[in-house]
Amino acid sequence: MGALLKGLSEKRIAVVVGSGGVGKTTVAAAIALSRAREGGRALVCTIDPARRLAAALGLASLGNVETRVPAEAFEKAGLAARGELHAMMLDVKRTWDDLIARHAPDEVHRDRILKSRIYQQVSGALAGSQEYMAMEKLYELATERDYDLVVLDTPPTAHALDFLEAPDRILDFLGNDTARLLLAPAVGAGRIGLRLFQLGGGYVAKTLSRFTGSDVLRDVAEFMENFQGMYEGFKTRAAAVRGMLSKPDVGFVLVSSPSPLSIDEALFFHGHLRAQAMPVAGVVANRVTPDLWEADEPLPSAANLAAALDAAKAGLGDGELARRVARTLAEHQVFARADARELRRLRGGTTGAHVSVPRLGSDVHDLAGLAALGSWL
Amino acid sequence: MDGPALLDRRLLIVTGKGGVGKSTVSAALALVAARRGKRVLVAEVNVQERVAPLLGAPPAGPVAREAVPGIFTVNVDPRHALEEYGLMVLRYRALYQAVFENRLVKFFLRVIPALPETLMLGKILYEARVLEGGRPRWDMVVVDAPATGHAVQLFRVPAALLETVPRGPMRRDAEWMQALLTDPQRTALSIVSLPEEMPVSETIDLDAQVREVLHIPRGPLFLNAMPDARFLPEEREGFEGLQHAPSPLGPAARAALLQAERAEQAERHAARLRSAVDLPTVTLPLLALDRWGREAVECIADTLEVHV
Repeated sequence: MGALLKGLSEKRIAVVVGSGGVGKTTVAAAIALSRAREGGRALVCTIDPARRLAAALGLASLGNVETRVPAEAFEKAGLAARGELHAMMLDVKRTWDDLIARHAPDEVHRDRILKSRIYQQVSGALAGSQEYMAMEKLYELATERDYDLVVLDTPPTAHALDFLEAPDRILDFLGNDTARLLLAPAVGAGRIGLRLFQLGGGYVAKTLSRFTGSDVLRDVAEFMENFQGMYEGFKTRAAAVRGMLSKPDVGFVLVSSPSPLSIDEALFFHGHLRAQAMPVAGVVANRVTPDLWEADEPLPSAANLAAALDAAKAGLGDGELARRVARTLAEHQVFARADARELRRLRGGTTGAHVSVPRLGSDVHDLAGLAALGSWL
Repeated sequence: MDGPALLDRRLLIVTGKGGVGKSTVSAALALVAARRGKRVLVAEVNVQERVAPLLGAPPAGPVAREAVPGIFTVNVDPRHALEEYGLMVLRYRALYQAVFENRLVKFFLRVIPALPETLMLGKILYEARVLEGGRPRWDMVVVDAPATGHAVQLFRVPAALLETVPRGPMRRDAEWMQALLTDPQRTALSIVSLPEEMPVSETIDLDAQVREVLHIPRGPLFLNAMPDARFLPEEREGFEGLQHAPSPLGPAARAALLQAERAEQAERHAARLRSAVDLPTVTLPLLALDRWGREAVECIADTLEVHV
């Protein structure tokens, strides 16, 4: 077992984070699969898996429902399934609706909120909404189910930090006192309006209504009012989620590609995890170009290779081919050295297990591929 | 592609999945246009700025700034766009500050459907049509647009407004915005993709949405970081047997095999893309560069120059 998986063997929750497109989903699935192969009951909660990987996990058409990967899938991949592998895809909207239903004082309030067009915006398009619900789902899975390990694949945010801050930001937004005050009903000029309409001679409302129509502002006011009674419940739960994440049975796994931007993001995120006392289990450098020429001596010239090809009598001894091969090795080493340089930066700035996964020949799209990826972790 | 050549359009939208090289392609297109004597604005949409640094210049922030001769960059963000807009309506900064207290502005920008998108798109499209001294301020505006889903959300705003807003200044704004976006004489949208599974899938979906939902005229597809197929099957076979040979042959054979494998994979994904999307494709080579910056952009621009 690799250093990362060893570090995770005592954990009950693994949160896989990193910038978009670095392979978080496959790493998350490989971690869960490995625990299942060890005999545990593991769940991977993914956000947006590639289609073939989703199919391999039996997620072709499911949302928000945990599904067990069938034993035949393990057999087909030639793997022994001593434990169980479950998978699910997060449905953000459904998770929001469930959360509202959980906190609403009664059905009337619940339905009013669920129908509000501002709620549609908050649950669908509000920045951070997806991240918040991923955390919420994780809490539910960790506290109300009995998996040995829950692995959360986090949303492809532009900034991984959004993920940690999302619950606070959204709650701050929902509990915004200034807004609530201004949107509170007020009696003015003989009719009931929003206090907002009295501010600055009505300029604010006028300017905003130019975009939205004043009925949208009224919708916002109504939404804030309906939500007010639920705010405390949301806040308490978010604090519990936050508390859960700093427990020792949680491990954050940072995934990065060797690209400088991805490494910057990983280092930045690592700093924040440490600052908030959240446990970092390890760092995965994914899709690394292997170094094929570690020697200090200069790369072989086309003439060197032509001579070597000739001596090997492989029937490939033509000078033109030797030039192509020399160029290929030289280019390969440009990538390998750039990757190695970036990896040194990553290692120097992070704690926990460090593992490096070479760029694999093909996309991981079945259990056998996940198992092969797992062997690097 | 019907209509004028790509770089003769006023508005060029570049989009695609995150990490495919949108900013590099945007910067390279701007560079080609600038080489042809055009005055170009590259607009990024509320992100950590990439384009100016790629050109070797400091980030511009929310006010356009010349990165290299002929190329200006700007990072459009909703708060600043609202301020610009608010100032147009309210005329005085003090008054703006009095009424748009910061926290409140932030609140409204987040809760009111489509408000940030409307403001940011309005600002960009305004730049694409504004005149200065009787001629357009910019010969070309390149939008380094957000990734797939967010791009559709952004460019769908005018059509959505036309469906819901009956009359008034906002509808008039939406009308000219939609007219500009869908005009093949002035506008084109190009998708950047990579020869890998997820980017290809997203490109196919996004292209369908451009055709069926956005109706923005489509420019060529840019297939980025394509490795070239440089070895014959029999050469690959030969390398198989040499992988464990002593240096330098072993390492060279392994590098050749990895390159061949990667090129073969890439070609399979590229073929799927080409068969699913009926657009001319501009293929950009995978560059073996130590660092990604001005040199890379110049290289890409050299390749682009003959295609656009």
